[in-house]
Amino acid sequence: MKYILKVFSVTFMSLILSFSIANASSGVFKVSHDLGFGKDTNLDAITKGRLFQVVIKTQNRLVRPDMNGVPSPSLSTDWNANSDATEWTFNLRKGIYFHDGSAFDAPDVKYSLMRAKDPDIGSPVRKSLNVVEDIEVIDQHTVKMKLSTSFADFPLLLTDYRLRMIPEGSGDTIGQTGVGTGPFMVDKFDPEGTTILKANPDYWEGAPGVAEVHVIAIPDAQARIQALLTGQIDMNRYVPFNQKKIFDSNSKFTTTVIPTGNWRGVVMRTDTAPFDNPKVRKAFRLAVDRQELVDLVMGGAATVSCDTPVMPSDQYRLQMDCPQNISKAKNLLREAGFPNGIELTVYPATLEPTWPTIAEVVQQQVAKAGIKVNIEMVPSKGYWNEVWMKKPVSMTRWNQRPADTILHEAYHSGAKWNESYFKNADFDKNLADARSELDFNKRKKAYQNAQMTLWEQSGTMIPYHVSRLVVTSSKVKNLDAVDHFSIQWHKVKVD
Amino acid sequence: MENNLITEDIQKNKLEKAFEILKTMASKPSGLIGLTIVLFHVVLALISPYIAPYDYKAISPNTMLLAPSAEHWFGTDSLGRDVFTRTILGGRTALTVTFFGSLIALLWGGLLGIFCGLVGGKIDDVVMRVVDAFLSIPWILAMLLIVSLLGTSTEVLIPALGFFYGKGIVRVARAATHDVIAKDFIVSARARGHSNMSIIWNEIIPNVRDAILVEGAMRWSWMLLGFSSLSFLGFGVSPPTPDWGLMISNARGLMSFAYWSVIAPIVGLSSLIIGINLTADAFAKALGIDRSTKAPV
Repeated sequence: MKYILKVFSVTFMSLILSFSIANASSGVFKVSHDLGFGKDTNLDAITKGRLFQVVIKTQNRLVRPDMNGVPSPSLSTDWNANSDATEWTFNLRKGIYFHDGSAFDAPDVKYSLMRAKDPDIGSPVRKSLNVVEDIEVIDQHTVKMKLSTSFADFPLLLTDYRLRMIPEGSGDTIGQTGVGTGPFMVDKFDPEGTTILKANPDYWEGAPGVAEVHVIAIPDAQARIQALLTGQIDMNRYVPFNQKKIFDSNSKFTTTVIPTGNWRGVVMRTDTAPFDNPKVRKAFRLAVDRQELVDLVMGGAATVSCDTPVMPSDQYRLQMDCPQNISKAKNLLREAGFPNGIELTVYPATLEPTWPTIAEVVQQQVAKAGIKVNIEMVPSKGYWNEVWMKKPVSMTRWNQRPADTILHEAYHSGAKWNESYFKNADFDKNLADARSELDFNKRKKAYQNAQMTLWEQSGTMIPYHVSRLVVTSSKVKNLDAVDHFSIQWHKVKVD
Repeated sequence: MENNLITEDIQKNKLEKAFEILKTMASKPSGLIGLTIVLFHVVLALISPYIAPYDYKAISPNTMLLAPSAEHWFGTDSLGRDVFTRTILGGRTALTVTFFGSLIALLWGGLLGIFCGLVGGKIDDVVMRVVDAFLSIPWILAMLLIVSLLGTSTEVLIPALGFFYGKGIVRVARAATHDVIAKDFIVSARARGHSNMSIIWNEIIPNVRDAILVEGAMRWSWMLLGFSSLSFLGFGVSPPTPDWGLMISNARGLMSFAYWSVIAPIVGLSSLIIGINLTADAFAKALGIDRSTKAPV
């Protein structure tokens, strides 16, 4: 009997021990970033230089998109609006703590969101958040947001990947500490080297599956692919489709194709000649064969866009066809006073691996309309500070956002990241009307009118929304097959 | 009449000497191979626009990454362009830029080195310290800075490469000058009251020319590699101009399954560099110069 009890105890203890080991965070998950913001790289989610590969793992939002992009609870458990959708009440999750030990509560929400509206900080997200007039702290776990207009889709706006909750009063240090309530805590921040994140054992959704995440700076796209091949990193979410074959036949890697609302484009500054003439801008955009770009650059894995930034799956997207039209492009150039065509220079960098190829293909396509494109490669490091929004024509890329957010952020006349310096009163009015409209069909009509204005007037040529080829080491498990900002990072494991 | 005859005689002698040097170079297998390769590339660069079977910039999704075939001898690249066409055209810009870049390097580096070697003193000290300072700067960083500021046109690349590759020639030319300035004919020229310019032109250049030319030939092959490195990094010629460095850069990610798009430009570039090196080596031997010491043997 004594012997049986002894065996039973040993077995029981072993089971408990195995269970504990199985549930403890272990292993290192290594990812990369492109150092596109150079010396301005920081951990303050609302600033231009935010290192999103870190903040999405260390900080939570009030509301996050679920696997289908629908607003779902995160630090807010539920919400409701008044009858005209001008006041929204959010109930907060209880018993949540920041990495610095302080409790998460209503004043933190007010601080985090009002800070994003602070004109002194000048956050790119400020424009879309301007609709929030005030945030009232009802009690420690309830906030009421008062809007300047009706906004039926307001929770969707809060799913923005930058609207992260930080401790009240931490604004001066957040750029270096990255403190939040997320599954990982910043152990060492080294934007030009390796940033190390450690698992947050008290994470409210459960301890993360990995003990550490290393975020390594690798500016060159091909170098990132080599880093993946050699095991220096475990995941690359920017692998060009023409390199899919390398990984398809290799059992060490797993490839996943994810349709996204992310887009690439060529931006013409509408405040700079000759692009200050809408006819010139439209001529350039009409001269592009978008399907050919999809085939050549993306190997067919993208959805053609007619210069709308609204993602294909969005309920407000304007569906239309926009085949290449060289004769119309030439006519527009002639009417604009350029019968012999125009010449322009674009500045791609390899931080986005498809940019040089897009530039080369577009160069050949628009040449048929008399538009001569020169290509000048520029360094990846600091591209967003030195080239983007500086040169008359630049390359761009955006991650997906809800229709209202992306239309405000990239095109509203007062937006900080209005990269083409686009100013159109009708467009702005349509966005304002859409927000305040409670009838879905009328709201949809207003958003689509705004997109039609972009087709006629915009300075940004958006040929497609990409499907993302995500390649991970086969050691990586439980990685959600969704866009970067919807992934639940605590579930990821590395064998 | 008599002067004209003497001039013709001198020119005839120069031609004969050049022919003699070529003959000596070709007498060794390595020299013959080097000369043949360089000649092949130069001829190819001249005639390639007329013999290229396809438009080098014609893109098509229907012909992406085709393997070598009777239709596309070297296959096609990721944009459906014919690799053979782009390879035979790919050396034109590199050869042009580096040839003129080497000439500039030879001119400024050679003349400055000779001048410093002759005048010596503080001027020599200051100039050489400046040259040393520039030598300590990695050329690729300096070139990246220049192309970032001024662009990547050939008008920028030729003088920039010429400048950076001329720094080493300054030292070689100065050392060669030191070897000859102690000779009697220089002392004699000085005693006759000849100016520095006259001594440089009439006495020193004929005696250091060979060493500088050999150095220049070597610099040419290094410059070619440097230029291709710039193109590889995306800072050489602009797309869609075919260029070996750029072709290698674009195709490097496809090596494991579309090797043809990267092998052809690699062969083009490396064969030209080997050819120039063998030629420079044979040139030095024909002139009686030991390349390890740059001194007459």
